[in-house]
Amino acid sequence: MSKTSPIIYLDHAAATPLSPVAKQAMEPFWAQDFFNPSSPYLPAKRVREAYEDAKNRLAHLIGAKGNDLVITAGATESINLAFTAASNCLILATEHDSVRAVASRIEHQEIAVNQYGLIDLEDFRAKLTPEVDFISIAMVNNELGAIQPFSQISEIIRQERQRRLGAGEPNPLFFHSDASQAFNLIDLNVSRLGVDLLTLNSAKVYGPKAVGALFIKSNVKLSPIQFGGGQERGLRAGTENVPGLIGFAAAAAEAKAHLKSNRQHYVELVDILKNQLQTAQIEPVFLGHPKHQLANFCPVSFPGLDAERLIFMLEEQGVCLSTGAACSASKGQKSHVLAAIGLSDTEIAGSLRITLGLTNDQVQIERAGALIAAAVNQERQRLSEPATKVQAPKAQADKQQSIKNQDPKTHGVNIQSTKKVAAA
Amino acid sequence: MSAPKTVFLGMSGGVDSSMAAVLLKEQGFRVVGVYMKNWSQDLPGMKCPWAEDLADAKRVAVKLGLDFKVFDFENEYKHKVVDYMLTEFKKGRTPNPDIMCNQEIKFKLFYEVAMEQGADFIATGHYAQTEMNPVQPSNNANLPDAAQPSANTDFLDSIRLPVKADSPDFLQNLQTLYLDQSKTPQNLLRAVDENKDQTYFLYRIPHEALAHTLFPIGHLTKPIVKKMAAERGLVNAYKKESMGVCFVGEVGMKDFLQTYLPVQPGQIIDADTQKPVGSHEGTIFYTVGQRHGLNLGGGLPYYVVAKDQAQNIVYVSKNLNHKNLWTTEIELEDIVLRNNNIKTDRAELLVRLRHRAPLIPAILQGNKLFFQAEIKRPAPGQSVVFYQDQVCLGGGIIK
Repeated sequence: MSKTSPIIYLDHAAATPLSPVAKQAMEPFWAQDFFNPSSPYLPAKRVREAYEDAKNRLAHLIGAKGNDLVITAGATESINLAFTAASNCLILATEHDSVRAVASRIEHQEIAVNQYGLIDLEDFRAKLTPEVDFISIAMVNNELGAIQPFSQISEIIRQERQRRLGAGEPNPLFFHSDASQAFNLIDLNVSRLGVDLLTLNSAKVYGPKAVGALFIKSNVKLSPIQFGGGQERGLRAGTENVPGLIGFAAAAAEAKAHLKSNRQHYVELVDILKNQLQTAQIEPVFLGHPKHQLANFCPVSFPGLDAERLIFMLEEQGVCLSTGAACSASKGQKSHVLAAIGLSDTEIAGSLRITLGLTNDQVQIERAGALIAAAVNQERQRLSEPATKVQAPKAQADKQQSIKNQDPKTHGVNIQSTKKVAAA
Repeated sequence: MSAPKTVFLGMSGGVDSSMAAVLLKEQGFRVVGVYMKNWSQDLPGMKCPWAEDLADAKRVAVKLGLDFKVFDFENEYKHKVVDYMLTEFKKGRTPNPDIMCNQEIKFKLFYEVAMEQGADFIATGHYAQTEMNPVQPSNNANLPDAAQPSANTDFLDSIRLPVKADSPDFLQNLQTLYLDQSKTPQNLLRAVDENKDQTYFLYRIPHEALAHTLFPIGHLTKPIVKKMAAERGLVNAYKKESMGVCFVGEVGMKDFLQTYLPVQPGQIIDADTQKPVGSHEGTIFYTVGQRHGLNLGGGLPYYVVAKDQAQNIVYVSKNLNHKNLWTTEIELEDIVLRNNNIKTDRAELLVRLRHRAPLIPAILQGNKLFFQAEIKRPAPGQSVVFYQDQVCLGGGIIK
């Protein structure tokens, strides 16, 4: 991909490389201790022990017991399983598609967010009607890195439960959170968070892909969505993914051990990047809350530009980053997250999601900042060149437009605008 | 120096249109890449392949520094191509949606919108040529024996390309010939690569559009296009070619049709023994001459030899010499002539009965085509395309 330099990977919210520690922990369980944990002989029993041990270790990291966890094939499955307790739900307007798609199959409402992507608590209170039996709020949003105020959220939920108890309303109220992004950099404790269900994802914490977990508080009754040999307390049939869980537990433990130092490291790197983009005078608009944002997130918009073009240009230079959600960009649909925080179409079209990780160091970030600035300038240059042959008045207007006021619609960077032209 | 001409290039994300973009740019045109979003069926929960194609097309455009646009023709495509196709199938015919797509979308709507937006030319990555292309076979003598098309591309390369495609001379050649303002595209000409020639799909495109159309890779062979793309590090040089109808995507034609047309189970009867040998899901899903898809189990293959739509029966035969499978004449309708020189009272032509089928001699009299020897009978709704030397003269739809 890159001609001259190694890749600078800036999309850690999408995937993380497997940590060497996790890889090493998994190693014996591929070909050596490969036994089915349910088999009756001693070597298999040892595999069972290793599996349960890993599950316990993972559970302890979030203040739970091994028995509270169901190991799944990833966050999407965990979420699907969690929602089997739901019939009328509230979700945040900025939830990941894996939550939105499941919620859309039942009664559901969306809770609004403010311009930082943080929950609108008033709206939450208003929509938390007696019929609602399930709430799903991601602890950290995957596009903005917005960290939700969980103490306030769980307090509102506690009050509503109290009210239902007093009023003799039997309708339960379960609280689920997708902590896929959060687990990497936030110390999670299920009691403190006040959640009944918590989704964890190995692939975002430098563990292997296609492994996830669902924490299930004992009072929540879920229905299996996959049937077979009755593994995972009957909630997730299928032979256990032993190396997967062992890798996940090792990676998660490593992440937790370095929470503070990693956060500090990312804060410094993001600072460097932001400074660099700002001093390059390319007019970046940084998205999200300055404080309530996961340390490794640096979402930024260059209004008037087409972020997808920037991605393709930067990929040529070895810099890998993403728009809000990779598929929504190419599908010509705008990110629902960025729309929910009130960005204009132009701001959304120009939005990049930069998420740092363990693969990055200061040299890389400085280089990436320079390359991003160069790409932005190159695009602004391209757009400022008037089209050779447009109807006369339009060409005039183009020439007079300053770079700052570029209207992308005349240059076809905006899919919606092209549609109008085509239909005309 | 005068301003460069503006070309709106249809880009699909494939290697052909990507290489077309490279060549146009290298020749000094101002190129605007356009992805035409035609109609695609979204299956529940399934990611549509076109999103990836769009990204591939855009990636190439961006890397070449081109402007890039998306033209959304979904409604028009549904209306002009999909509906046409479904109507034809309902009549028991076997339409060719790609021909209709070129006639109505790529060389009409796309052309019109591109011109409105300031294009001097449109271009596509089709294997076809006009007088603008720099290398053409001068006459039929240069072609392999018309009745026996050669699959040997090395042979084609050696006779058609006097200069190597990667030599500076060659590109220089392209430059002068393309920019020669004395030339105007008038005739649709066969591609140099006889294996890839797509004029079969283009015989109905409007004259006006053709006069403003460039086929930048029509004088190259596919192996050369791939080689040139690889040399330039185009990411999609090795991309798997899309097969079949664009909008159906990964779903097969039969599956697609069955979601739109009613399933009417009926009998499959052996035309020779008059005994039932199986069941079908509707006569409209079968084409006379079809060999595959009968699900009749082992033994010699069956061929569809007749369809009785009223009785809902499909007749098959193991006899490859069954009279219904062969003919010496075809009746056409909706004939398009691209050239005034052709005399319909009696014209000796070369014709192509399917994409990539050999050119065979035939005589056109009125709306009938006569062949010297028996040919395998093509299905009603399919097209026959006429040629003289390298010129595509038009064609018609089989009645």
